[in-house]
Amino acid sequence: MTTHDLKASPVPMILDGDPGHDDAIAWVLAEASRRTDKICDIRAITTVGGNVSLDKTTYNALRICTLLGIKDIPIAKGAEHPLTADLMNAPSVHGESGLDGPALPEPEVTLEDKSAVQLMTEVLKGSEEPVTIVSTGPLTNTAALLLSHPELKEKIGQISLMGGGIGFGNWTPAAEFNILVDPEAADFVFRSGIPIIMSGLDVTERALMYPEDFEEIKKIGNPVSDIVWQWLEFFYKFHCELGYAGAPMHDPCAVMVLLHPEIFTIKDYYVEIETGGEYCRGATIGDVRNVKNMKPNARCVLDLDREQFAKYLIDAVKVYS
Amino acid sequence: MKYPVWMDVDTGTDDAVAILALHKLDCTEIIGISTVCGNSGLENSYRNTRSLNTVCRSSYPVYRGADKPLVREPFHALAVHGKNGLGDIIVPLPENETEYHEAAWEALYKAAREYKGKLKLIATGPLTNIAIAFTEYPDLKEYLDTILIMGGATREGNVTPCAEFNFYADPEAASIVLKSGVPIVLCPLDVTEKALLSPEDMEELRACGNDAGKFVFDILQKPWSFHKSIGNKGVQMHDSCPVLYLAYPEIFEGEEAGVVVETKSPLTRGKSVTDLYSDKQFEFKNALVVLDVDRKAFSEKLKELIKGI
Repeated sequence: MTTHDLKASPVPMILDGDPGHDDAIAWVLAEASRRTDKICDIRAITTVGGNVSLDKTTYNALRICTLLGIKDIPIAKGAEHPLTADLMNAPSVHGESGLDGPALPEPEVTLEDKSAVQLMTEVLKGSEEPVTIVSTGPLTNTAALLLSHPELKEKIGQISLMGGGIGFGNWTPAAEFNILVDPEAADFVFRSGIPIIMSGLDVTERALMYPEDFEEIKKIGNPVSDIVWQWLEFFYKFHCELGYAGAPMHDPCAVMVLLHPEIFTIKDYYVEIETGGEYCRGATIGDVRNVKNMKPNARCVLDLDREQFAKYLIDAVKVYS
Repeated sequence: MKYPVWMDVDTGTDDAVAILALHKLDCTEIIGISTVCGNSGLENSYRNTRSLNTVCRSSYPVYRGADKPLVREPFHALAVHGKNGLGDIIVPLPENETEYHEAAWEALYKAAREYKGKLKLIATGPLTNIAIAFTEYPDLKEYLDTILIMGGATREGNVTPCAEFNFYADPEAASIVLKSGVPIVLCPLDVTEKALLSPEDMEELRACGNDAGKFVFDILQKPWSFHKSIGNKGVQMHDSCPVLYLAYPEIFEGEEAGVVVETKSPLTRGKSVTDLYSDKQFEFKNALVVLDVDRKAFSEKLKELIKGI
């Protein structure tokens, strides 16, 4: 399976997302790692408008952190809308709240009195080591950070993102949701020169959790597993109607690839973001055949060992027992 | 009864092989062939296509079409097809040839009307001529049975990361034709890059003892050196796909899909956007998209046709 030289090693990390069921599960993975192997050394959590409005994703972030018992990590609210475009949401996937399904605890943690970009800036300045940004929503915050603090670019070791797809989309036939919401931000990030690990639909639609995996998680019987299996079930119900055999773990791929790169197939491509076009806005155009003869700017995650993925995800939920 | 067929080409080494194959098919009758700017310039397409009447000892009417895309500058593929578009092989024009001076779109429209909706159109170059015909004669759509097209790519392109040559060369024309409402069979790179003649196949044709076999061998040497240089195992017979599909649909596999062509951005110019792999579907299915072929059956059928000339 391995076609790359990525290795898991402890890194300071910022989680930036628009939770969302699959963002939430990505964060479950990251926090489990922080408590065990410490590969995800989470320094900040930031939110962005995407799956639902910024207020809702931020409220969800606070509830998720409360559920996971995260008390010592600063959380800040990010961009309300894309750099230049109008915000579009995906409530059909995640429900009205953006995290419909099981009842969640009310927030016991509070927001920082600063913007996501301010918080990201502090984390970058305060870190000796390069920081990894895990982006599971539109790339607006990261683009805003690079626009306002170009001097901090060197401090970002890599951006592991869920977004795009080589050659196809989901929200339009050509574009994936996160990139489509803010293609200008994505374009800026992909041109930045910062190393990118792109978990696109190629891999994320194959990162399926099957109903028997939900059962497995249900059996764990801790406060987090009680919620996670219901999130999976909620997410599966929507996708089942589209013909999926399980719940696609889009966002968790962006974390899992850092924890267990060996279970993924990854190829380096030069990827450009379509910001114009009549049908292709938001498409990630990967130069698979190298017809442009450009240096690759993204490590594109294309496939995975699903069994191992499911096992590692289930193991992560067990950490909360 | 034989299908009346019109062919629109930018001959082109693989167009030439496709025309020879169509010539030999039992189930079809070639009504006319129109030529377009594409692999090389219009004058090459026009002359090369007429010279095939010499190879086939036939007298198909050949028409001149557009000498450039609808709104774009001409874009050629001389590295693959040679300077004259026919692998730098020059075949004499037929003796006592009748030249046809009608424009491609006029002749096509006339033929479509004459065959009262039975005419099948095979297009293997940029779709400029067909788009002009639709624009001039909106009722043309009622007189065409099917349009079989070599063009597009559902994933990777061959001239840009996401666009195939014919659609890239004239994206506006491709868009007009795909929106025409005529049933479409689309053969994109997904299938045409699997439709190979191997060096052994080419050798077999050279040795088969007819002039057509030797001719095909000769014109494919230039594209073969190109394909070999980029690591391919044979010459891609893109344009023979829609021809063979007409006669032997059973060796192909395809799927109904919504297909549109991007015309509004340089990065994705000419990308054929399909809804085959996406959660989101278009509200229409306008094409049968051919995605796979039995490679062995394809090369056997193609060789058999060429050998029979």
